[in-house]
Amino acid sequence: MLKYVIKRLFYMIIVFFIITLMCFVLIRMLPLPVLPPEDSHTKVLLMRREALGYNEPYLVQFWIFLKNIFTKFDWGLSEKLYFGREVWDIFSQKLPATMLVNFYSIILSIPFGIIIGIIAALKKNTWVDYTLSTVTMVVISVPSFVYAFLIQYIFCYKLKWFPFLMKSGTDWFSPAMFVSMIPPIMALSFGTIASFTRTTRAELTEVLTSEFMLLARTKGLTKAQATVRHALRNCAVVIVPSIFGEFIGILGGAIIIEKIFAVPGVGGLTLNAITGLDYNIFMLSTCFYTAVGLLAGIVVDISYGFIDPRIRMGSRK
Amino acid sequence: MRKFNKAVALLLASLFAVSAVAGCGKNNVSTSASASNSTSASASASASASTENKVEVEKFEGDFIFYDSVSTLATNWNPHTYQTSDDAYPRDEAHITSDLYSVIFNDALHPVEGKDPFTGYVIVPEMAAADPVDVTAQVKKDHPEFNIPESATTGYAWAVTLRDDLCFDDGTKITPDTFVESLKRLLDPKLLNYRAVDAYDGTYAIANAKNYALAGNGAFKSLTDLGFATVEDFIAAGHTEAELVIDINGFWGISTETGKGYVSAADETLIRDPAVQEGQDEDYVSGKYLWETYLQTGAPYASYQSQYVGMEVFEYEAGFPFEKVGLFKSGDNEITYVFNSSLDGFYLKAYALSCNWLVEPTLYDSCLKETETASGSVWSSTYNTSVETSRSYGPYKVSDYQLDKSIHFVKNDKWFGWTDGNHIYVDPEDGKTYPMFQTTEIDCQVVAEATTRKQMFLSGQLMNYGLQAEDFDQYRNSEYAHSTPAETVYFAIFNGYESVINDREAAADFDGANVDLQSMTLNSFRRAVAVTFDKDLFCATVSPARVGAFGLIGNTYIYDPETCAYYRDTPQAMQALCDFYSVDTSKYASLKDAVASITGYDPETAKTLYQQAYTEALEKGYITDADNDGKSDQTVTITYSISSDSDFMTKTINYMNEKIGEATVGTGYEGKIQIVKSAPCGNDWSNNIRNGIYDMVLGGWSGSAMDPFGLTELYTDPARAYDGKWFDATAVEMTVNVNGKDLTMTLKEWSDALNGTMVTKDGVDYNFGYGSADVETRLNILAKFEGVVLGTYDYIPMMNNGSMSLLSQQVYYVVEEYNPVLSRGGKQYLKYNYDDKEWKDYVAQQGGTLNY
Repeated sequence: MLKYVIKRLFYMIIVFFIITLMCFVLIRMLPLPVLPPEDSHTKVLLMRREALGYNEPYLVQFWIFLKNIFTKFDWGLSEKLYFGREVWDIFSQKLPATMLVNFYSIILSIPFGIIIGIIAALKKNTWVDYTLSTVTMVVISVPSFVYAFLIQYIFCYKLKWFPFLMKSGTDWFSPAMFVSMIPPIMALSFGTIASFTRTTRAELTEVLTSEFMLLARTKGLTKAQATVRHALRNCAVVIVPSIFGEFIGILGGAIIIEKIFAVPGVGGLTLNAITGLDYNIFMLSTCFYTAVGLLAGIVVDISYGFIDPRIRMGSRK
Repeated sequence: MRKFNKAVALLLASLFAVSAVAGCGKNNVSTSASASNSTSASASASASASTENKVEVEKFEGDFIFYDSVSTLATNWNPHTYQTSDDAYPRDEAHITSDLYSVIFNDALHPVEGKDPFTGYVIVPEMAAADPVDVTAQVKKDHPEFNIPESATTGYAWAVTLRDDLCFDDGTKITPDTFVESLKRLLDPKLLNYRAVDAYDGTYAIANAKNYALAGNGAFKSLTDLGFATVEDFIAAGHTEAELVIDINGFWGISTETGKGYVSAADETLIRDPAVQEGQDEDYVSGKYLWETYLQTGAPYASYQSQYVGMEVFEYEAGFPFEKVGLFKSGDNEITYVFNSSLDGFYLKAYALSCNWLVEPTLYDSCLKETETASGSVWSSTYNTSVETSRSYGPYKVSDYQLDKSIHFVKNDKWFGWTDGNHIYVDPEDGKTYPMFQTTEIDCQVVAEATTRKQMFLSGQLMNYGLQAEDFDQYRNSEYAHSTPAETVYFAIFNGYESVINDREAAADFDGANVDLQSMTLNSFRRAVAVTFDKDLFCATVSPARVGAFGLIGNTYIYDPETCAYYRDTPQAMQALCDFYSVDTSKYASLKDAVASITGYDPETAKTLYQQAYTEALEKGYITDADNDGKSDQTVTITYSISSDSDFMTKTINYMNEKIGEATVGTGYEGKIQIVKSAPCGNDWSNNIRNGIYDMVLGGWSGSAMDPFGLTELYTDPARAYDGKWFDATAVEMTVNVNGKDLTMTLKEWSDALNGTMVTKDGVDYNFGYGSADVETRLNILAKFEGVVLGTYDYIPMMNNGSMSLLSQQVYYVVEEYNPVLSRGGKQYLKYNYDDKEWKDYVAQQGGTLNY
């Protein structure tokens, strides 16, 4: 197992470098922001670009980029949005908010999604199943920012249950902060809950008709016991990996949600970096999302072995 | 004995510390009347008698928090490096700085003859202890390094005595040395600060500041600047061809990879021209190519040699000492400013004697970071980017800041204004005296979405809400709605870059059988477009907060700051509009009535002009009429250069297409003119117009509200003008009657002279700058200039910028009338109906949602 993990990590690093190199070259191929001639500021920016190797071949630029990261953990300076400031400092300030909102969202989505999925599967081909399946499809089809506006209007404006915006400050685990996070968490969770519901229902429906389920019932287990102990465990092989996939998906979807609820996270930062042509920030964001995606892939693969002992990681046979 | 010495030393040190703190926080009894205008929450609610001048000042009790929102939060409010208006929020909206002199409303305490309270303004000392003193004669004698002209006797050097209780929010004293050291850092050549240019360039430039900031840098000087008419003259004077450089930025609109706007005429390095598609002719050009193809003697544009050919001059000597820069300590508590030009009055105190570059030097230095690069060192700074690195010397200070999320300000208890007795005013309604800055805290959140802002506002959580287009029907007549005009005039600017248009039509993929671009270059075509739209109706349709524009200069510009008189109200400006729109003034009781009749819409004239344009276009071969149906075979397709797509763009283009469609009925262009959107081009939208890549845009600019004369430079400087590539302001002459004598000069010369540059014509020097010519003459020139530029039809005025917002029921303005200088008084004069607690209760009583 350890050997397998090490091997996967090694591959992950190679893939990460390839993706990073591709992104780096593509980003550097984009036209740089036009600087006004004869402006004193132009000179500063040009000197900075030279220091970052903009006038060198792309591979040399990439080497400078990597060298700065590995020798000084220097991701460069912001050229536009936060002029002259360390990109990493800005990014690290914003990471907690994004991670927390996404983490809470996935934590909320798992039980709700699975429970609703189980109900739909157990009530297969009844009005309950039809209703849940229809709602699920509708919820999956509508983008999360639509819920964001609805949630804000209903719960924040009309009912006054929650604040409009996420609370300021870095007291990430205070009750007030948590309450202020609920609207964005809800907005991010609806689609995820629907997705889990659909996955769970589909898997459970299939497993419930398996012969071993019949055997379990004939052994004297109740339907609930058979479902929880045998059917659900079999479904987990599909459901658990989808949790990590959804987490990555939420990170992507959070970009707009962060803007609506003023979540000071990296999603908005990435969006601003793209529109503001602040390439160093964009590069760091790209590396972050790439790394999270690749790590999630490894975790998913490893999780198979824990969920279903029959699956042996790294086994040649 | 040693213990005794220690004890004495400790006692002395303690006394020193106590006296320093006391000196910083106390009011300056010697310079101001103590009016006991404390605004602390614990103070009594009743009016209290002041001490010396017996002014009774009301007191406020409670917390008055101003809840604000922005789309983009300030990230860098360092006065030396900030770039955007978002970054100016802490200074402009939260008052973390003070000025040497401030502009306040006239009231019973500061009366202005002939003006009702709060209809004018006065300038009073703020950080300064008294009015500035003109020391030009003395400085000219003692400091020849400032090069004050021999003939000058006043206006160049001014001594300012500072208050002796100035300090930053951490208690650090502000002294004359702080001013000098701050300017030194602003201009430091190694720091290359973005805002240095504010101190060394323009009308209010400090003497020698440019020499210090640009020490060792070269600059392009045209043959004209060098005193030559042609290259031959230049060579004959002993120079060589190798010295020749070309102003590629001015002539071709490009710059080198290193940002330089000029290159040697012998330089063969290819430079990409972004205005030309890759692969087409002249997508890359060199200095040598431009010289040989266009500018050398005998080439097509040789007549422009004097303007775009010249040499690089190193006029800023390396190692220029800061001691020669025109700001120095001239007394224990006195500084002296020396300017490049003579200044006085409003402009001197309100603009020139600026200290918005003041920083706390010790903290500033600790925030600098040097990064070694291959080509030298790059410096960056974290000064004024966080609570820890922020320093205030105004009424408020930063108390909390979260990047891209929120910023919070509280009262700066070290600010002298809380206790000096000067920061009070008499309310014109109740006649009582109140302290300025009733707001105790300012809380600003990032709220990106307008819908969220609206809901928060209606829930009582924001102080104001900027109305969106969809809100106007519901709120435009609300008693809480306030309209705020702005300086910017938006023009419909059409592509007139004929050579580029011809190139586009000659391209292989151009559909010449169905599309025409050249018609839009016809003067008759543009004149037709100019009378196609009712400007006010246009604004009401596409952007209701704005109003129709008819002239080159907007409605809010003040030509005489001493009297707060508007340019558009002058007879000269009104006559210019009547002349341009062919209004028969004899039919109206007054010029004002005649101007009021202008709508910009004249369908009959438009039809005639469209038909005239059609005939001319046929004759010139721009369009064809193969089937002889009297209509163009081609559709004039005008591509609107959009930065990003929006509802406003869609409405604008739809409106214009509809009205052009109506106006062309029965003409050769009926159904044959179409405005279409370009692909979103971000910040390049204006360059795309300047370079002729796209054909139309609603563009404009704003200048200083007090200086409409300065706007003329925008139309004569080819680097700034939208039509700089096809309109030459040095070739268009204008005649103005000055002191009974007709004087003819080019537009460029008139603009230069109007803005204080000495222009020599037929051996006579002319300078019509502020203070150098009487105001009537200046107005005559400006109005004539406006008429001439409008007559080019390169700029068709469409709308005056403006906005409308709702103000919370929690607060109100002392004055409802908008003032271009002080707006409605800002936070300085804002008053509260409820304190924070009362407001929350009130909102709850209303069911949590307020009705506006």
